[in-house]
Amino acid sequence: MPDLRLTRDLDATLDEMWDFITTPAGLVQWWGPEGLSVPEHALDFSRERPWFSVMSGSEGQRYKVSGQVTHVRPQTSVGFTWAWHDEADRRGPESHVTLGLEPLGPGRVRLVLDHVGLPDDEAAQRHTEGWTSSLKKLERRFAPA
Amino acid sequence: MTPLPDIFAALADPTRFAIVERLLAEGEQSAGELADIADITAPAISRHLKVLREAGLVTQRIDGQRRIYAVAPRPLQAISAWVIEHRDFWEASFDRLEAAIGNRRKESR
Repeated sequence: MPDLRLTRDLDATLDEMWDFITTPAGLVQWWGPEGLSVPEHALDFSRERPWFSVMSGSEGQRYKVSGQVTHVRPQTSVGFTWAWHDEADRRGPESHVTLGLEPLGPGRVRLVLDHVGLPDDEAAQRHTEGWTSSLKKLERRFAPA
Repeated sequence: MTPLPDIFAALADPTRFAIVERLLAEGEQSAGELADIADITAPAISRHLKVLREAGLVTQRIDGQRRIYAVAPRPLQAISAWVIEHRDFWEASFDRLEAAIGNRRKESR
């Protein structure tokens, strides 16, 4: 099963969480791993429209991902397509992301991420962990100058 | 470039994986130097090298009588990007979201 599901239980109200996962002001506060900045973006998941973000690392690496918002169910879920661009700005294989909210009680919300349609080679899944150390070596070896 | 699932398929074999690891660790090598990678025949090693070349993972150059093999960086960079892309992307983002919520709570007090 290649599809990725992550859940997080968070101390926030539904209103707050909805802003965090749909508005540009909310999204830029958490979008992308620590250490990457988001110098360019159209991150607005409140309407069905195209979106993109460009993340950049301290050593000048540039990662662009883009898609189209596919559904917006207020305070319940948003869906959007997702594809990374390569260095020539060609868009790669498209997958789909849903961010869902489930109220757990006053001031407590479960955030559920479903990322589906990822490359689904079973061997890839089995071997991913074993590759990590090789990939670390590789990154040092082929780090962009 | 070769699609990722095909790259993964080419690597999903212990001998081929060992060849790529060897070339990464020690740089380019001839087919002869790679012969001790597994307890198999030279033609079998050649077949594995062919699969790796067809997947774009390994390059070959001719040096006199010898064929010298090296790792091609791009497919492995693509794997690296794919691995960090998804689970790590979201896990790391959710960590930041949790922190952002914490900050908001403090500010509103």
